[in-house]
Amino acid sequence: MRLSRRQVLKSAALGAGALAVPRVLTHGAWAQARPIRLGGTLPLTGPFADTGVWVERGYRYWAEKVNRQGGLLGRPVEVTILDDASSVDRAVSLLERLITVDRVDLILGGYPGTAAAAQMALVERYRKVYISMGGHMASFRRGFKFSFGGPPLMGQWWYEGAWRWLSNIPKAQRPTRAAAITVNNPVGMSARESIQDGLKRLEIPLVMDELYDLPLASAEPLVSRARALGADMFLANGFFPDGVLTMRAMKALDYNPKVILQAIGTLIPEWVTQLGPDGDYVVSGTAIHHRLPYPGIAELNQVARERWNLKWAPLYFLFGYAWAQVLQQAVEAAKSLSHAVLVRYMRETTFKTIAGELRFDERGLPAPYEYATQVINGEVELIWPPGRRSAQPVYPKPPWRR
Amino acid sequence: MAQVLQALVTGLLTGSVYALLGAGFSLIWGVAHVINIVHPALAVGAAYAVYLLAARGVDPLASLAVVVPLFFLLGVGFYEGVIRPAARRGGDLVLVSMVLTFGLAAALENVLAAVWGPGPRVVNVAYTGRAVQLGVLALPITHLAGAGLATVTIAALYLFLHKTFPGKAVRAVWQNPEGAALCAINLRQVTSLTYGLAIASAGVAGVALALIYSFSPASHLMWLVFVFLVVIVGGVGSLVGVVVAGMLVGALTNLSTLVIPFAWAPFFLFASLGVLLLLRPTGLFRR
Repeated sequence: MRLSRRQVLKSAALGAGALAVPRVLTHGAWAQARPIRLGGTLPLTGPFADTGVWVERGYRYWAEKVNRQGGLLGRPVEVTILDDASSVDRAVSLLERLITVDRVDLILGGYPGTAAAAQMALVERYRKVYISMGGHMASFRRGFKFSFGGPPLMGQWWYEGAWRWLSNIPKAQRPTRAAAITVNNPVGMSARESIQDGLKRLEIPLVMDELYDLPLASAEPLVSRARALGADMFLANGFFPDGVLTMRAMKALDYNPKVILQAIGTLIPEWVTQLGPDGDYVVSGTAIHHRLPYPGIAELNQVARERWNLKWAPLYFLFGYAWAQVLQQAVEAAKSLSHAVLVRYMRETTFKTIAGELRFDERGLPAPYEYATQVINGEVELIWPPGRRSAQPVYPKPPWRR
Repeated sequence: MAQVLQALVTGLLTGSVYALLGAGFSLIWGVAHVINIVHPALAVGAAYAVYLLAARGVDPLASLAVVVPLFFLLGVGFYEGVIRPAARRGGDLVLVSMVLTFGLAAALENVLAAVWGPGPRVVNVAYTGRAVQLGVLALPITHLAGAGLATVTIAALYLFLHKTFPGKAVRAVWQNPEGAALCAINLRQVTSLTYGLAIASAGVAGVALALIYSFSPASHLMWLVFVFLVVIVGGVGSLVGVVVAGMLVGALTNLSTLVIPFAWAPFFLFASLGVLLLLRPTGLFRR
């Protein structure tokens, strides 16, 4: 069959058009598709803002990346974060507004544990999937079906890595008496829960176990008592401001226990950047770490370096990203925004995240984590488990530098 | 015994810093009948100024040369630009000023967060974490410096109010504004001066607090608790009262922890102060 020149040109034009149309349509469809709207509240002002902003940055970077890679279910994502001003009541009322008035498609988890625990009760009522740090173990014992700690910030698990590390030190070299001070709120109390059990396993008597309310005006009485009792292990289950006061009081009173465990204060970059050498050698726990080998961590470290001039991605940046990552994987695998479908899927699969592989049990919790960290020369190093070590632990803690 | 002494002395040292923060707040409340909620937020602002200067090698104590005059002018400007126009519009000045200054505190917190970020800051100097050893007592140098600043500032304010003519005019306005006006005392100038001094003292308190505590834009909410505590217990407008109340709060908090669990210290403190206020509802030193 012979084709005329006109027919050839016509066919070529039609062919080219046919090839081009889907691309144009696809791109246009993505751009014009109704975005998937994700909403949540975070403390962007007030006492918890220092960490809240990092969670927000984690969420926003995740959204930016998802959109760059073609969106979620082929649709762009749009993140709305409302500032709850560090108030639990506001966190609940604003989230309810996002669910009922703004009708967001998916929920982003709140922070801190008190806000998350209250929001967990709310989302249960509206049957919305909620992935966050949770409100420590108590919030996961309430039988909620829609809430997940992905990963959680679990006070009860916090020192597990430290107990295991200490149990590997020859018994003769271990601390012999422990003193603990704990902030009198759900966060501190959760960390305190593990102390009795952990110390019992190590056969270390707890000679002082004090609670304090915030704000802590003076740490000297607590520290001087611990010193007088001969405690060579000091546990400070507190936040940054009280942590700073405690460390300075220990230095001023020249109190040198073999090991200092600090629950929460070390989790923000300021422990290293602001406190300086006085914050060194403190042991803590974590659920995620910038030196873990999981896919995505290196990229987030790079982002932190480029955007905020930090050496490593801050912990709460990683947390925010991880929570959004779990939600993304659930939606992509379930191919649905239906929360009833998502919640079923959440308990049936294993999620591959920057915190490692997570599989949720009936309570909405993954397996307990067992990482221990130590601040060494201004770096938060992983010291346990041995296979994940980024530095050799320093034990006993050297005397204060004068 | 060593523990008792340590608790008592560190309690008195930190208590004197609360007194310093409360002094200016009490002065404005007493003289101008304004509950200046922004007072501790201004102290936080001064702490940031100290941080900024310390990062450039300026010792916090030397930064007073900048902070005091700056905050004095700020106080005068605050009165002329904010409080006076509000007062001229009439209404219940106590209530209006409380709402107004609360709003200003929130705005200042947001400005500080926008400039510095919401994260905490710590001022580290060569003597941070060091102590003067007096027998069994270890006195942290930062606490000693804070107490020293409190002593000098409150003494200067006291001498000014009791020994100088402008100071006596301030007291006259506080006790009887109409009578003071009849004696040709310029109410505006006197009130303006009061604000200048009070806010300058907030600046000094910010320096003292920055030496001892970490701070963030939201720290003023925590410090406000101590301010109200010492001013109400001491008696509104009384410098002596603020000093005694500050010391009392510091000493009671620390000493109580030696005989009762630390968690009960706030209960013991507030219960004691509650009893005290039942006996003297106007505070310790307000007549």
